[in-house]
Amino acid sequence: MKKIVTYIVSGLLLTATACSDFLDINESPNDPSSVTPNVLLPAALAGSAFANNNELNRFGSTITSVTAGAANSPAAYDIYNIDGADFNNQWRFEIYNGALITYESLIGISEEIGSRSYMGIAKIMKAYTFSIATDFWGAIPYSEALQGEDNTTPTLDTQEQIYLGADGVQSLFDLVKEGMADLDAPSEINPGSDDLIYGGDLDEWKKAGNALLLKFANTISRVAPERATQEIQAVLTANNYIDSNSENMNFFFGSSVGSRAPVYEYTYVTAFRNDMMISTRFVNLLQEMNDPRLPIFVTSPAGRYVTIDNGFRGALPTPTSSWSRFSEYVTGDGEGPVRFITAAQVQFILAESALLLGTSGDPETYYQSGIRASMALAGLSSTEIDTYFAANQEFVSLDGTEEENLEKIMTQKYISLYGNGVEQWNDYRRTGYPILEDHQNAVGIDGTRPVRAQYVNQEIARNSNFELILPNVAVWWDVD
Amino acid sequence: MKKVLLGLLVTIFSVCAAVAQSRTITGQVTSSSEPVGIPGVSINIKGTTTGTVTDIDGQYSISVPSTSTVLVFSFVGFERQEVTVGNRTTVDVLLSPDVQILSEIVVTAQNIERNEKSLGYTVQSVSGDVIAQRSEPNVLNTLQGRVAGVNIGSSSGTPGASTNINIRGITSFTGSNQPLIVVDGIIFSNNTDNTQNTLFGSQPGNRLNDIAPETIESINILKGPAASVLYGSRASAGAILITTKTGSGLNGKTELTVTSSFNVQDPINYASLQSEYGQGTTNNFVPTSTNSWGPRFGAPGFNTVVNTQGETVPYRPYPNHFDIFFRQGRVLQNGVSIASGTSDNNFILSVNATNQEGIIPETGFDRYNVQLGGNKKLQNGIDVGGSITYVKSKQRNGTAGNGGSAMGQITRIPRSYDFGGAPIENELGEPIYYNPPNTHPFWSTQNETFDSNVDRMFGNLTIGYDFADWLNVTYRVTADTYTDRRKQISRIGASRNPQGRLADDMVFRSELNGDLLIRMNKDAVFGVEGFNVNALLGQNINQRDFQNTRVVGEGLNIFGFDNISNASVFTNSFEERTRRRLIGHYAQLNLDYKNYLFLELSGRVDQSSTLPTDNNTYFYPSAALSFVPTDLFDLQSDVLSQIKIKANAARVGRDADPYLLTTLFSQASYGNNLAQINFPLSVGGANIPGFFPQARIGSQNLAPEFVTNYEVGTVISLFDFRVELDVLYFNTSSTNQIFDVAISPSSGYDNRTTNIGEMVNQGVEATLRALVVESSDFTWESELNFTRIRNEVVSIAPDVDNSTIPGNSFLGIAPSIAVGHPYGVIISTKFPRNEAGELLINPVTGTFAPGVPGEVVSNPQPDWIAGFSNTFTYRNFTLSTLLDARVGGQLYSFGQVDLRSGGHIDYTGVDRNMPRILPGVIDNGDGTYRPNNIQLPAQTYFGALGGLASEGAVFDATVYRLREVALNYNLPSTLLQNTPFGQASIGVSARNLLFFAPGFPADPEVNTQGAGNIQGMDLSGPPQVRNYGVNLRFTL
Repeated sequence: MKKIVTYIVSGLLLTATACSDFLDINESPNDPSSVTPNVLLPAALAGSAFANNNELNRFGSTITSVTAGAANSPAAYDIYNIDGADFNNQWRFEIYNGALITYESLIGISEEIGSRSYMGIAKIMKAYTFSIATDFWGAIPYSEALQGEDNTTPTLDTQEQIYLGADGVQSLFDLVKEGMADLDAPSEINPGSDDLIYGGDLDEWKKAGNALLLKFANTISRVAPERATQEIQAVLTANNYIDSNSENMNFFFGSSVGSRAPVYEYTYVTAFRNDMMISTRFVNLLQEMNDPRLPIFVTSPAGRYVTIDNGFRGALPTPTSSWSRFSEYVTGDGEGPVRFITAAQVQFILAESALLLGTSGDPETYYQSGIRASMALAGLSSTEIDTYFAANQEFVSLDGTEEENLEKIMTQKYISLYGNGVEQWNDYRRTGYPILEDHQNAVGIDGTRPVRAQYVNQEIARNSNFELILPNVAVWWDVD
Repeated sequence: MKKVLLGLLVTIFSVCAAVAQSRTITGQVTSSSEPVGIPGVSINIKGTTTGTVTDIDGQYSISVPSTSTVLVFSFVGFERQEVTVGNRTTVDVLLSPDVQILSEIVVTAQNIERNEKSLGYTVQSVSGDVIAQRSEPNVLNTLQGRVAGVNIGSSSGTPGASTNINIRGITSFTGSNQPLIVVDGIIFSNNTDNTQNTLFGSQPGNRLNDIAPETIESINILKGPAASVLYGSRASAGAILITTKTGSGLNGKTELTVTSSFNVQDPINYASLQSEYGQGTTNNFVPTSTNSWGPRFGAPGFNTVVNTQGETVPYRPYPNHFDIFFRQGRVLQNGVSIASGTSDNNFILSVNATNQEGIIPETGFDRYNVQLGGNKKLQNGIDVGGSITYVKSKQRNGTAGNGGSAMGQITRIPRSYDFGGAPIENELGEPIYYNPPNTHPFWSTQNETFDSNVDRMFGNLTIGYDFADWLNVTYRVTADTYTDRRKQISRIGASRNPQGRLADDMVFRSELNGDLLIRMNKDAVFGVEGFNVNALLGQNINQRDFQNTRVVGEGLNIFGFDNISNASVFTNSFEERTRRRLIGHYAQLNLDYKNYLFLELSGRVDQSSTLPTDNNTYFYPSAALSFVPTDLFDLQSDVLSQIKIKANAARVGRDADPYLLTTLFSQASYGNNLAQINFPLSVGGANIPGFFPQARIGSQNLAPEFVTNYEVGTVISLFDFRVELDVLYFNTSSTNQIFDVAISPSSGYDNRTTNIGEMVNQGVEATLRALVVESSDFTWESELNFTRIRNEVVSIAPDVDNSTIPGNSFLGIAPSIAVGHPYGVIISTKFPRNEAGELLINPVTGTFAPGVPGEVVSNPQPDWIAGFSNTFTYRNFTLSTLLDARVGGQLYSFGQVDLRSGGHIDYTGVDRNMPRILPGVIDNGDGTYRPNNIQLPAQTYFGALGGLASEGAVFDATVYRLREVALNYNLPSTLLQNTPFGQASIGVSARNLLFFAPGFPADPEVNTQGAGNIQGMDLSGPPQVRNYGVNLRFTL
């Protein structure tokens, strides 16, 4: 008997002690615990592109009367209705939990292995993506954001701190400049085809960085004109920014299922494709200006423009296949592209700055080259552009008062930003141009267009540093 | 050695006795209930160890020394009898069945049979008779209403639909709350293995579907941690032990049993519909409208209308389209089994087939089971047993979910749409429908399908040996493995995948267990007569594997060609594998003092692969006490038969899921059903890979979660055990929950895994059983059970009031845990109310004031559930009935909102032209309110009652039900004399024959999210069914 007990006990002990290896199997075979920069970069860039091109674009395009809502959320935007239930996916999955955390991760990993070029691109794009967030929501978590477990309830930095910097808060300008400095440093590995914007051309990235500095300076030009002037003048002096359409900061999606730009999917593919069409007002604007880009920008499958007015609540035109929608100029065959910054946009920034801030250069020269760049991008030949210029001097020359000239610049910039509702809404809020009439049946908070996005419900529920600010309260740089 | 010596001594003693003087006594032992001999009855000479057993006919022969005069006859299930021999040489004995003992033996953890009297916890046994032949292919459904403390809900009436089961409430925030299923000692996967979004996909079955109800001998439900502690972490939600039929009870006979049943299933429709108004809104005809708010039928100018295809069609009401869409389902079950043997040597071979056609066209469920099992006691005393079962099952299902699915459209059919007659596709197969890009439900059932093909093997092998009469050592190996090959087809034109999509899934699960069981017992410990001890030492080694390999093909080219080679994009393909291991050591000590005081002490140490190495070993104990004062104080009387008092305290630990410890990266993707991209991105002819950090932060400090349970109760038996009342109270506290706590998204992550929170379940269970009438011709047995469980989430994490339960859910309709509320409440938009609780009305519109998001609007948990079963036996007829009630609890229903806000359901057609006023008050602005008097047209009124994401989608789920009626007739043996049959019976049965749901227009027992932690959601899913049919059973 004793023997039996001895056997059993020793058997039990044996199995009990031999199990350290047996149990050491908890490493996931499904998901990697470490990755390389070349897989992080495209994921992050796609996140920024998705953020610009998806729901935020639908909102921006609709609120600035480029598109009109037929159903669901675009119809709500069209009558100025947004609240904390809107843009949760954008804030969470596209911006903070998508692009931004991936740039953060890319910066960390690149630093470890000394790939400064990846770091540089990541910092430039991180600054761009943060600018989308702060331009939409105002004060946001910035200096304390993206720290994971180390700070699960980050505090907010004001938009002023984010753009201008403060104690412990690196300004967006400095973040871009730091990134550009990284691009100049020697790097262990460099991006190639994984750089879905410039294919690894770091010189182009420097131009994009400078163009981004111009965009940021332009954004704060009303509230902080001196800083804006200083930043713009510095870029002009260095003279290395996006200056031709071939240098545009574009993100091309693909043309097959699962790789296509959100604007294409939403316009042509998904069950929600009949929620939005082009606004009658946008078509009218281009028709009034005899603009040759109209047939390139807006489809007319029925042989004429089938649109509705913004805020229209009557019976929708039928059939839906006749509706005027974003054309191939915006959607491609699924590729897009998402145009983060274009040469035309830069020219209009420089025109506005020369006009209002007195930065170097002639406003009209910049203005006209902005129109030309946009028309060329739309596919018009230089002859066609010349013909348009000759016949439409009233639109292409800056011959009015400063205010009239500003309106012209901003109207042309608005047209050239077609398909980028995020920037159209930013410019409209900042300058009040182009002049947009109120939408029919407008509701909103007080009947006026929203001038900021409301903090998303999930963030308010999870982080007590957030407080409710309604969409009719202007952001910091929107001073008038 | 001891045994050998003992044997020798006995032999020597016998020889001596024989030499002294002896005589041979012969006779037959028969049963008092039927005139047949009982084989295997042991006959002992009182005061000696000498004995014999009866042969197959109950005959025996024994040599008795002249000094002995009393023989003791005993056999399990019969009352023990002592007979004085006197001078007789022939002693025939009539044994009476011992009903009391039969009912008292229950199977407890690790398949140990125990006398119920000794248990300080609760095990409820359900006999196979009430499970088999009940027109119900899913075993779990047959337990509905029969077991106190258990909440069972089937997700729909479609073939293979999954069934949710919770024993004594919900104890884990995110872990599985389904009990552990053990079939003949085999840990048996009851997973649902969702491979699709549960909001939109097809619902796969729960894998207990693979058990044929006909093969079940009994089911024992272990309630509470004290009862299931020996199974460890796995059974913290309780355990269900299924014992299948064997040949052990046949006393050496060989029996061939043939069973056959045929049942039909009728769908229980969503609603009756109005037939006054047709398609459109605000009294205008609109050809693409999903509403029936159009002109009244017969209104001038509306004899015909132009439909979406531009054709002129009559404008008139069509018959209820639910009746056209659903068909009568059929369930055919056939089985044959051959069994033979005694308790030591036996075998069984059984083959069962179930073939079901569902109520939705193209759907069905087929299951084939083959089981072979047996036990043998070898000549050297070693017990060897084993069984192996092969199951092949196939489920075929369609799509469900809001909007673009058959079930999503069926509640949006305008009354003037010719549902049964309109064309559904052109000659190319492209869908034709009134409201593209949605499709006709019939197009959807034909072109959007889901097939699940399961091949499953499970079995066990047991080797045991009695090293001494007090020591048994057994080793048991069990295995359960299956492969589920799934194919989901969305042909070109499907509204959710306009370019078509194919998903081929291979789901593999395997579980291996090795258990060493050492059992010891000793009577009269320390020389104290009646102080008996049983002890058990055990070790369990467990490995579980899961793999899901999915190939997704999108961008199809050829319509109707469902091969993956038809696809052009494969970026959604993936593989997921998990492996986990667990080593457990356990011990149990049972003390029995004079058969009136019982104490059971158990403990188990688990070591799990899923927890951090320095935190992966955890111990948990249990103590259970049973005290029978009636035996101690000799209180038995004609009225009072027995009182038992039971109490226990237990704690069970539960490990984590695999791979939660680290923060990982995953293949990048963005977007949802509005627009979506998935890496690798196909850009400019190249495939670009992309990864990003996952939204979850892992934890290296994870510890096991614990469930602590206290239970007290009593069992009072009256009138010679003919009436028994079992009442108990339990309190369960779940702490240290492993949970993904939501964190600020601006931290860069969405949640982090940690141990937090507390949840409490308090409950009362009561079961009253009575043998109301017992006579030779007529018996009436009755059982009433009642369960009331109060579940409350006490805390989640600092500053966290609520959190969404993992799984698929719509934004704004979140199944949640919320502090101060029961588990699983639904957080959505609530209509605002004043302090008095009156609904506030917008004075401008006359509709409810704008809703408040983020409020608890629905609680799926019932207030109480009860079942009342009666069995009447008159001669050869047996009639059984089962009524059950589920009172309280709510259901969130998309379908009913569609029917109401779309103006389809009958009551929206009544007095449609009369204005209506919403219930509520209008704020006077000075703190006072006036009753709402703003009149609304019918369409505005019914729309204002609430949309999909609102409180208006919540309905009372109370339901009283005639769950089952079954009438069985056993053919009398006189009729069978000239036939080869030993027994034959014929029966008719019906399930869900009648129900009364005061707050819901249809059967509220539906849940489109299937078995799992999200309950109470009817997000455009299939309805329930009513079954009835006949069954036959022959024994040769």
